[in-house]
Order: sequence, then C-alpha cells, then structure tokens
Amino acid sequence: MNEMLQTLIALLLFPTGLFLLVNGMIYEWIDRKLVARLQNRVGPPWYQPFADAVKLLANEEIIPAGVHRGLFFGLPIVGLAGALTSALYMPVAGLPPAYSFAGDLIVAVYLLSLLTLCLALAGANTRGQFSLIGATRTLTQLYSYEAPFLLALLGPAMAAGSWQISEIVAYSNDHWLIFSQPIGFVVVLIGLMGKLELSPFDTPEAETEIVAGALTEYSGRGLALFRLGQQVELVLGLTLVAAFYLGGVASPLAYVTKTLFLLLFIASLQTLMTRLRIDQTVGLWWRYGALLVLLQWLVIILIGGAK
Amino acid sequence: MNPSSEEKRFTIPIGPQHPALKEPGHFEFVVDGEIVESATVRLGYVHRGIEKAVESRTWTQNLYLLERICGICSHIHATAYCLGVEKLAGVIIPPRAQAIRTLVAELERIHSHLLWLGVAAHEAGFDALFMYSWRDRETVMDILENLTGNRVNYSANSLGGVKYDLNTRLEVAIREGLDFLEARTRHYLDVVTTDGLFLRRTQGIGSMTYEEALNTGVTGPTARASGVQRDLRIDSPYLAYRDTPLEWAVEREGDLRARFVVRIRELFESYRFIRVILDTLPAGDLVARMPRRIKAGEIVSRVEAPRGELFYFIKSDGGDKPARIKVRTPTLCNIASVTQLVIGQHLADVPMILVGIDPCFSCNDRTALIRGGEDDQLWDWARLRQYGIDHYRQEDDS
Repeated sequence: MNEMLQTLIALLLFPTGLFLLVNGMIYEWIDRKLVARLQNRVGPPWYQPFADAVKLLANEEIIPAGVHRGLFFGLPIVGLAGALTSALYMPVAGLPPAYSFAGDLIVAVYLLSLLTLCLALAGANTRGQFSLIGATRTLTQLYSYEAPFLLALLGPAMAAGSWQISEIVAYSNDHWLIFSQPIGFVVVLIGLMGKLELSPFDTPEAETEIVAGALTEYSGRGLALFRLGQQVELVLGLTLVAAFYLGGVASPLAYVTKTLFLLLFIASLQTLMTRLRIDQTVGLWWRYGALLVLLQWLVIILIGGAK
Repeated sequence: MNPSSEEKRFTIPIGPQHPALKEPGHFEFVVDGEIVESATVRLGYVHRGIEKAVESRTWTQNLYLLERICGICSHIHATAYCLGVEKLAGVIIPPRAQAIRTLVAELERIHSHLLWLGVAAHEAGFDALFMYSWRDRETVMDILENLTGNRVNYSANSLGGVKYDLNTRLEVAIREGLDFLEARTRHYLDVVTTDGLFLRRTQGIGSMTYEEALNTGVTGPTARASGVQRDLRIDSPYLAYRDTPLEWAVEREGDLRARFVVRIRELFESYRFIRVILDTLPAGDLVARMPRRIKAGEIVSRVEAPRGELFYFIKSDGGDKPARIKVRTPTLCNIASVTQLVIGQHLADVPMILVGIDPCFSCNDRTALIRGGEDDQLWDWARLRQYGIDHYRQEDDS
C-alpha cells in the first residue's frame, strides 16, 4: 500500500505530474519575460502561461476535416506523457531520480524526443499546407540536431563511465564539466534550443511563413497539451544540461540557480539571432555541430587514455 | 512530367489572412519541397471606391478623403493632390508653406522607412531589431504629433498652403529628435550590414538586376536598390526640393541587403534635408487664396512617396468638384516584381522578398476581382434593385 502511494505520488505530484507542469509554466513565463525585457518590451504578467493553459483547456476543440480522429486526439496525450515520463529518471528539483537503471539516459532522451515526433505526426495528420510544411521542417530539424545533441550528452557519460543518469550526476557533482568539455556544453545548449524550437531554430513554426507550423490546425485541448509538453521539455532540458555540465544539481537551491542561469543565457541567444532557414539549420548542425562533438569526444578519449 | 514529381508540388496560399501580411492580398506559391517554382498574385480585397467617391465631393472635401488612401504615406497623397489642383488653378503657394509641406513629407518618409525596417526584420525572425526600430520610430511620431496634432493622418495640407506653423520650441524638438534618430540609424545600418546571421537571410536573396528592374518597371527604393537612378525629388524636383538638391541613395546589388541599405541611406538624407529646411525656413504666409471652382483642364501630378513614384491624374470641368481623379500608387508598380523575384528562392525567404518592396495593399486596390461563376454573394443589378425595393417595403410595413 505504501509503495503504491509512493508510485502514485511520483506519477502525479512529484517529480512528474503537477510539480513539473507548474514548474514548466513558471519557466516559460521567465523565458518570455526575459526575451521581452531584452527586446525593450513589457512582456506578459506572471500568470499568463497559467491563464493560457486554462483558457485553451476550456476552449472548444475544432477537428479539421480529413484527419484521423484517433491520432488527432491521441498524439498530444502521448507527447505530453512521454515528456512527463522521462522526468522519472531525472534529478528534478535537485532531488535524486525516482527511478534509475543502467542506460536510462538513452531512454530519457528518447522519451523527450517523443514529443517532437508526435508534433510532426500531428502536423502530417492534417491536410493543411502550413501543417504539412511545418511537419516536414520539424522532422528535418529533429534529424539535424538530435544526433549531435545526444552525442554531446554522452560526453559526461563517458567521463563518468556510466550511462545511468544518477551516476553521471553523482560524478558531475564534484566536476564542473563545462570547463573540461566546453565544446560539448555549447553543442548541448544550442541543441536544446533546437529541440525546444526556440529562435533562431523556430523555423518549424515560423509564423511569418507557415503560421504555426505543425500546430496550425490545433485548437483547445490538443494545443494546450502540446504547449504544456513543450514547457515540460524546457524544464527537463535545462535540468539535464545543468546536472551534467554545471557541477550537478545537488540541492533545490543549486537546481534553481543553475537552471535559471541557463535560461537567461538561452533568452539572450534568442534575442540576438535571426531565424535560420531550414537548410541553414541542417548545414549548421551537420557541418559544425556534429564535427565539434566528435572533436570533443576525441579530446575526452585522448585525455581518458592518458590517465 | 512524371506523376511522382507532380505529387511533390503543392500550392502554399499566403493571404488574404496570414501573419506575414498585415493587409489583405492573396499570393499562391507553387513549391517543390522548399523551393518556389511559380507565384501568382491577386489583389482587390480592400477596394474602397475612392476614385469614384471623389467625383461627388468638393475640391476641399477630397483633400480629407484622398489623405486616407494610405495609412502610412497619408501626407504625400494630399501633397500630390494639392500640387495638381494648385497648378490647375494657377495658384503659387507661399515659400514657407512649401518648406513646411516638404518638412512633413520627409518626416513621413522617416516614419515609413523605420516602420518598414521593423516589419522586414520581423519577417526574418529578428524581433529584437523590430522592437528597437519601432521604439525609436516613436520619436518621429511624437514630432509629427507635436507639429500637426495627429500621428497618422496629419492633415497638414490645405489647398493653397499648409495649416500648421513651426515655432522655435518645435524646431528645437525636431532637431533633438533628429540627432537621436541619426545615432540610432547609424547603429541599424551597422546591424544590417555586419550581423552575420542577418546577412545570411538578406545577402544574395531576391536579387533583381538593373535590366530586370527596368523591365518590371519598379520604382522607389526597390528600383534604387538595383542601381536604377530614379527619384522624382531629384529628376523632377517640386516644393523645397527645387532649392536644395538631394543626394542619390543608390545600390547596385539588387538583393534584400541592398534594399535595406538604400532605405537606411535615405533616412540619413532625410535627416540632412530636414536640417537644411529648418536652417533656411523662409518667413511669410502659410496659405494662398484658392478659388472655389477650379479652371477646366487636366493635369498630371507626380511626387516621390516613401515607396516610390506616386501618380495623380486630375481632371476638372470647371466646377467645384473634380471630373476625374486617377491615382496610381507605387505598390502597383512594384508588386508584380514579387512574382518574378520569388522563383527559385526558398519558401522561408518569400515573406522577406514580399516585404522587401514595402507593399501597401489597400492603397493600390482598384477593382474587386471575383473568381468563379456561381456564387451566392454575386448579385447582378436587377437582384440588388429588387433587394432594395423589398427592404424598404418591409420597413414601411412595420
């Protein structure tokens, strides 16, 4: 009974579930507010993401003609569930992961990618041109950043000698890997921006070209769930990078300061850069991102071999 | 053409409602993957019938109507109209009025170009430049408001002169505003010519050669970015442009970057020119006496609007109302070039190329086009008449 209760808490309240959703909305607001202030705007009030979520959940959901209904309703749920599930293996809020097994890093990263995949499928499911182009671009972008992003996350794993998140975090608590693996840190951070489709990697949802990309036909609950999923992804991505590269997240205080620092960094980059075209994004990742990560690996292997 | 390549093509509609377009126009781009293969344009969503409406209003009333053709270059429309009507009537307006008219026209050019800079940056996804340039644009909007009392339709012109005078306090405010804007504009020129990521979205994109520019008949900054030396303020000077020569702002490359640079260089010219006007402002009256009826005759009045050559044909039959006024706005010359420029470009660059000509749709709508035959919204004259009769009969009954 007690174990059952613990499982329920882990699934519904902390680390996944309610805590992560609220945390996601707060971080989304901080990101929007930071970008707004950097652009000399006022920005939204603190309750804006909450208000958006409540409003969208209450809105009527319009089902466009010609979609597969099961997929249309199912994809947002699967995407959000994937993002929330991956939190079970992560040191959310600086506390040790709820579950852990050897190689859970790969599982967690791919559960996070599930959201992007669902987004692309949702776009391809509808018949609108904007959604279809958005879906194509989402998938193209996924294939360009995903490999360098994962390889950059494996850098700390190699240094720690384990592919288990809890062990890598334990290792990085004593080692600030940002100093020994600076290239990996840059790649993983930019990769995170690609994953979250933040400017300059917001080509898949470039509003001046294809309205809202894959989500153009979504409204109401489906849209709300996808957006919640993206907010959760933001928190988890920041957690992962802070835990791996910024000397771990041993306490809630360290978690908050380090993730917020990363958020500030990401917000500045978002403000500074012009949106890339999809061919430029692919070129950037495969021409520079992948090569840089391989270089970082080479350095790790050489130094590791010298030890 | 084999069927598989046929399937890959599809048509992307942009407009009449689309986040990239703030005004209704409709474009259809046929794309193969991300590359645009052909484009068509359809206008006529906001036809307002102004040309017909002016025939039932007096010369003075028309001033207000014509100023509302465009929400951005409102003053230049009124100026083109006034210049034509004054010439028909044989009235020469006082030098001070000429100077103030030119001053407002140049202030309007500044606000229009800064607005365009922000919109174009937004299309490229560079929202920081968008927000900052629009913040700085408020400076010139404030100047215009202080001078005329309005931010958009300044209503500074009257037939035979201008309505508002400059005083020392305003002059100081204008000079201070210009100093601030000049420093900011220098920064923006630096950004659009050196920011690597931004250049990747503008350099070599949407290029138009000198010959193409001549063939498509583009005007204004779009033409000058392709090396075409065409500017009515220099070619055929009017108002205060006769006294102080402007310098050319011409670039050769013809790509989006050149269109940015030309408009920003024009801003510097405008700052310099306004200072010259303020330095040499003649004293005297603001209005000359205008007759209520204008002598019969025809006239063509051309001025340089922020977007290019603005053309007015005015015909009077000697009454207190015009017999015919024909307006051709610069966007009408430029818009066809978009359908040529986008071919072979990435879909992602299309909004920027489109905005690169600084389109202004509602100004150039002449007709309402109707496609397709059977449509319940399509009424012929007999049906409209019957509807009117039935409508009023019902009202009488109740």
